[in-house]
This record gives sequence, C-alpha cells and structure tokens, in this order.
Amino acid sequence: MDFFQEGFSQAVTLLVNRDPATYSAISATVRASSLAMAVSLLLGIPFGYFLGYFDFRLKKYIRIVVNTLLSLPTVFIGLLIYALLTRNGPLGEAGLLFTITGIAIGQTILSLPIVIALTATAVEASDRNLRITLMSLGASRFQIAKSTLWEVRLGIMAAAVTATGRVLTEVGISLMVGGNIKWHTRTITTAIALETNKGEFGMGVALGLVLLLIAFTVNIFLAGLRRRA
Amino acid sequence: MENRSTLRKILCIMISSVVVLHTGIFLSVQTGQAAETADKLLMATTTSTDNTGLLDYLMPSFTAESGINIRWVSTGTGKAIKLGENCDVDVLLVHAPQAEQDFVDKGFGIDRLEIMYNDFVLIGPPEDPAGSMGKRVGAALSAIGSSANVFVSRGDNSGTNKKERALWKLADMTMPEQEPWYRQSGQGMLATINVAGELKGYTLTDRGTYIKYESVADSNHALVILVEGDDMLLNQYSIIPVNPKHCTNVKYENAQVLSDWITGFEAQRLIGEFKLLGKQLFTPNAIRE
Amino acid sequence: MDIYQIQDIDHFYGDKQVVSIEDLVVAPASIVGLIGPNGSGKSTLLKLLCFLEVPTYGTILFKGQKKSSFSGEVRSKITLMPQDPYLLRRSVFDNVAYGLKIRGDTRDIRNRVAEALGLVGLEPENFIRRKWYQLSGGEAQRVALAARLVLKPEVLLLDEPTASVDAESARLIKNASLQAREEWGATLVVATHDWQWLYETCDSVLHLLHGRIFKGGMGCTVYGPWRMGQKDLLQKELEDGQILVAPKPEEGKHMVVLDPSRLKITLPGKYPLLEWNVDKLNGFITRLFLERNGDTVQAAIKVAELVITIRMKRDRVEKLRLYPGKEVTIAYDPRDIEWF
Repeated sequence: MDFFQEGFSQAVTLLVNRDPATYSAISATVRASSLAMAVSLLLGIPFGYFLGYFDFRLKKYIRIVVNTLLSLPTVFIGLLIYALLTRNGPLGEAGLLFTITGIAIGQTILSLPIVIALTATAVEASDRNLRITLMSLGASRFQIAKSTLWEVRLGIMAAAVTATGRVLTEVGISLMVGGNIKWHTRTITTAIALETNKGEFGMGVALGLVLLLIAFTVNIFLAGLRRRA
Repeated sequence: MENRSTLRKILCIMISSVVVLHTGIFLSVQTGQAAETADKLLMATTTSTDNTGLLDYLMPSFTAESGINIRWVSTGTGKAIKLGENCDVDVLLVHAPQAEQDFVDKGFGIDRLEIMYNDFVLIGPPEDPAGSMGKRVGAALSAIGSSANVFVSRGDNSGTNKKERALWKLADMTMPEQEPWYRQSGQGMLATINVAGELKGYTLTDRGTYIKYESVADSNHALVILVEGDDMLLNQYSIIPVNPKHCTNVKYENAQVLSDWITGFEAQRLIGEFKLLGKQLFTPNAIRE
Repeated sequence: MDIYQIQDIDHFYGDKQVVSIEDLVVAPASIVGLIGPNGSGKSTLLKLLCFLEVPTYGTILFKGQKKSSFSGEVRSKITLMPQDPYLLRRSVFDNVAYGLKIRGDTRDIRNRVAEALGLVGLEPENFIRRKWYQLSGGEAQRVALAARLVLKPEVLLLDEPTASVDAESARLIKNASLQAREEWGATLVVATHDWQWLYETCDSVLHLLHGRIFKGGMGCTVYGPWRMGQKDLLQKELEDGQILVAPKPEEGKHMVVLDPSRLKITLPGKYPLLEWNVDKLNGFITRLFLERNGDTVQAAIKVAELVITIRMKRDRVEKLRLYPGKEVTIAYDPRDIEWF
C-alpha cells in the first residue's frame, strides 16, 4: 500500500515542478476530451431533444439502441475507429490515426449516447404543461425547442458531467487510436496504463491523482455554472 | 436577468477557458515539437523495448543528427507487425525473427537489418524444484514439464512468447497448452513474472524486465535466474522499413536514414553503453559493410 | 364577425370521443363560461379553441378563417392559461416578458411587464426579481395570468383559473380578466366551477358533459345497475325506490345522460292521467338561480340521489310558484333518453 503514499507525494512533485511529460499528457487529455465533448454536446443535445420530445413509431426502438450503445466497451470503439482510420480503411487518407483528433473521434462516439439518452430523459421528464405554456404564449417550434432545453438545463448539465467523466477516464480508445506516443498522444490514462505495466505503481497512482484533479476542476466550474442557472 | 444573454455569456466563458487552459498548458510544455514540421518518421516497436528506456535514450541523438522528428508507437509484437502491414507506420523495430522473415517474404517489409541483441533468461523459485539450474534450456524445460512444475507463459503472441514456443519445440515437447501446470497470463512481461512469483513457478523473460523486477521485488522470495547464456536464448532485434511498394505513403527515405544511422558506429556504441539500473542490457551486433 | 365558429366538430383521443359539438358561435368581446365535471371535455375544448390541437373531424373558424396550430395569427392573438400553469424556471420578470421577447416586441418592456403585474395585483418592485420557486400558489397563478395579459391577446382562454388559489388571488384574477375585456376588448372563454363568476359576469354559459353541450341546463349522468323491465325497456331503481326507465343501449354504451331540455317540471298530482310510476319522477327544489340576463332561472331539483338542473323562463317559475324545498314532478319520455 505504500505505493499510494508514494503516489501522492509524486503527484505533488510532478505538478509543482511542471514535469514536461506530465503536462504534455495533461494537454493531450484535455485537448482530446474538450474536442469530443464539444462535438457530442453540439450533436447530442438536439438529437436527444427530438428523441424525448416527439412521439413517433420508431421511438421505442431508437431509445433501446441508444441505451445499448451506453454499454459500448472503449476497446471496442477503439478497434472500430482504428479500422476506420487505418491506411487502407475508408478514412485512411485523412491521416488521423495516432493523432489527438483521432482519439477525439472515438471519444465522441463514447460520449454521444450518454448525452442523447440523458437529454431525452430530461426532456421527457419535463412538465406536460410546459409545451402548452410555451405554445400558448406564442412560441414557434424552434422557440419551443430552445426554451424547453433551457428549462431542462439541469438535466442536460448532468448529461455533460457524466459524459465528461467517461471521456476523461477512458483508456481503450486513447490506446488503440492514439498509440500512446510520448509527447504526442500519450494521455494521462494511457500513461497510467503504461506505468502500471512497467511496474511503476507509484507513478500510476500519481497520474491518477492528477486526473482526479482535472476532473475536480472541471466539476467546480460546472457547479459554478449551475448556481448561476 | 435576461436569460439569453446570460447563456451566451456562460458559453463564452466556457469556450474561452477551455482555450486558455489548453494554450497555457501547451505552451508550458517543452517538447521537441517543432510545429513547423521537420521531417517525420513513425516507428512501431514493442512495449518491452520501449520499457527499457533505450529509445528515450537513443532517439534524441538520431533527431539531432538527421533532423528527422521520430515518433514511435509501442504495442505487442503482433500488433506492431500488423501496423506495418496496414501501412500505419513507416518502420518496425521488433525482435521476432520468424515473424520478421515472414513479413519480408510477404513483401510488407524490405532491407531488414539486425541491430542488437539482448537475451532471455529462465527464472524460477530459488528452491528450483524441477532441478533446472545450469542445464541447457531445452533440457530445463523438459525437466519442468516432466515434474509438472508451474510454468507461466505470456500467451500473447509477443516476441517473448514466440521465443518461448520455439523453445518448447526445441525441447521436443508438444506445446503444453492444456496442461494444468502451464498458465497463460495474456499480459505483459512484468505482470507475468509477478504471477510466476505468486505461484512459485518458472517463466521465461527478457533480461531487461528481470533487472527491473529484481530491483523492486522482495529479495527473500524473488525469483532467480536459473538458466542463461544458452545461445538459443538470444533475443535478436532488427529494424525493418515498410516496403514502399506495398505502401505508397510510407516515408521510405527517412526509414532508410534511421536504418543507416542505427547500424552506424555512433549508434552502436551508444547502444552498448546503455545501462539499465547500472547493468548493460543490449549487445550491438549490426553488420557493417 | 364572430370570433369563433364551430361547425360539427368531433374530437377523438385514440378511440375515445372527447368532444362533440354541432354548432357553436362566440361573439367578439364576450365572456363565455364553461361548466361541467372533470373529464367533460372543457380542457380539450379550450385546447381546440387555442389551436393547440386540431379537431379530428370538423373545423373551427377563427374570425371566419381556418387556422393551423403554428400560424402567426393564432400564436399572437390567442392565449391559453392551462389548469396549474407551468412557470418557467426563471425570474418573475422573465416569465412575464417571455411572450414579448419571443415576438421581438421589446419596446418599453419594463413598463409593460410592470403594468401587467399591476393588473393582477402584484407589486412590480416586490415581485420582478423573485424566482419561480419563491411564490405562493396564488401568486404563481397571477404571474401566469400576467404573462398572458401583457400580450394583450384578442382571445383569453382560462382553464379553472381560480380552482386552487386563495380567495384574494381569485378575486384579483377575475378582476384582471374583466379588465382585459374593458381595456382592449378581449374575448374570454373561462372554464370554472365558480358560480358567481359564471352567472354574474358571463354573457353565456355552456354546460358540458361527456364532450357535448347541453343547452337546457346541466345534464345529469345516471349509472347502472339496470335491470330488464316491461316492454323491452331497462329499469333503474333509485335510492328512494322510484324507477327510471330507459330504452336498451347500443354496444359499448353504459351511461345514461338526462338532457334537461327534454324534461318538464310540473307540480305533483296535476296530471292524473300520467300517474304511472314509469314516466315521471318526484323530487324537490334545492336551488333557484337567476341568470345574468334576468330572464332565465336555473332550478336544481333533487330526485333521490340525482340532482337535475333545468333552465326555465322566469314567468314559469312564478306560475308554478316554485321555491326551494317545494315538491315537484319531472315528466319525461323514456324514448328521449340518451346513452353514452
């Protein structure tokens, strides 16, 4: 258990001394996650709104599919994206394998179902009278969508927080698609995997704590937003 | 207040802080990332190679001299070779001669050159119940098999694993796949050694990983080297550029520059001087014209 | 021109018929009351009048024209306050200003919001900054009303606006609605249980039951069990032993509704020729109520466990010398009875 104590002090050292490798990993993690979150929120929230708001015949089935996608293992997604981005694959020419962008693509697939499912739930759970109220005050379809999403903003924020957590901490995609290349695509999580594999448990713990710190910072920020809302 | 402008404000704050955070961290990182890209080269190698720290030690010299920005992906041997076949990398640095030959024969690789070797060792419990100590490796394995002592294999098609399988064949034994005393961990070398340690069993490992294990293990119960030096235990490393005829996009010239450099006098000297925890690990053996 | 013209509408939710009105006309700047038990279709009718839903069959004309749910005219001129209105999760100001903002009609917005709040008796300085969760039930209802009044709609539809609020709020809500008519000639359609409002302020009152309008008064529902009687007719025994007779119903219908316009009030013993127990019922007057027009009286008559409300002309009441407590007879023809 002393590698935990060791890890703790190592974490402080790494951060305070601005260890370049660690900061490079932090940068890679933050870049990939931010990109993935931005895209999945942009696409997922509208899609979740449609899924939650309208009644249509295929609704139940689409919902089941989305919920199933919540259980996609990250290695599986990693394999999928690798197959897409490899030289001879459909998107091979784009040269996205072993890049941060490639990782972000995989992470978007990871986080999209979460955003969609939780947004749909939030919209479905909203008051039945909301629609009537908005319509009776003269809102157009687009304004109804905007106002509904604002009304359920707490639920959407929950979706964002959950998805961010999942994306920040995944290893499978970063490893397979990123390649864990030092200084380039080595994220905190792949670095942890590497160090643990090398037997450097203390370092693994240290990096894990750094990641927690990042998540903590993000959540403090989101909590501040929540209060304002 | 008016919610629309608050929302806009919030979004602006969010986006700008992400940008600021990222830029700040990015700038504080001193990396050799000349963003105005010099020449690039992508290499696939194995985790055990990378884990020794040799590449971190050696490659900066290469970049300094050639101006080529080299990056490498380390995975298991099987995957590294696959990456070459899929044209996802420009050059391989692996240690699985049989698979390498295959790779070249199929036209995926070209101009394979041997560059260095380290060795494998057979380790086991100090009490050595199978009596393998000092024997030739083939005989040692026979002894282990016939006494049904636990042997832990990596079972993951890595270079070490392939070596191990070849050795069983050498000992004239059928692969003990189903034998209860044969345990396949499916994991990396260090994890496998730890499993063997727990089970007080035998395993085959590269010297580099053993050195590391030895430095952190509990000295009373650590596994010890029982068989070494047998020329069957040589672990030969080679460099293989990916064949440009197979993959039109690979940076073949840059791969050749690497190949020339790493078999050259300077690099070979550096390889020989590399020490892991105070012990020499690799023996350079590139043949020069 | 009439604000609304309803022609033969039938509205279904799935297989269930919820509203069925043959013809109905609403005059501009009038106040129409809707009364009926829960489930009688009042809320649905209001939604149809607001064009939130389109009738399954038939048309509703607004100012002589067909309209669709999201048409610009409809959205800007008709507004509905549902039962238990939903307040948006924002400040009172933002709630009231919402309708104006989405129209882009933000000229002088602070004053208009303050004016609307004043109309419903909420002091602007006090309430503008309050959040949606910082209001009592009555205050919330008034904010919802203010949000609609600020739009100065041509038609104001209210679904039980005073049902669950304190007396003071109820009074303010009523006054505000009336003032809407005074100030800009709004037409009001109000579904309510508030008798005072209905009969003292409404120009006309519609009685709804099972989605239908009963012109003669409040329809009375009679439930089973029924038993077979003579001549292939069904009989129901009331709690005091009287028998109500009805013809056999069609498949799937199991409720009888007595239509007051088919019933006749007479005094007991006046028509000895009709002295079978079958075609009349005995009861007594419980309430007499003069409608706003001064000409029509509503008489509520208790017959065993049923309460039947019949509207009649004032002079007939005088002629029969009716007063609360007086025993009367209701004459009816079983063939007139309808099943639902």
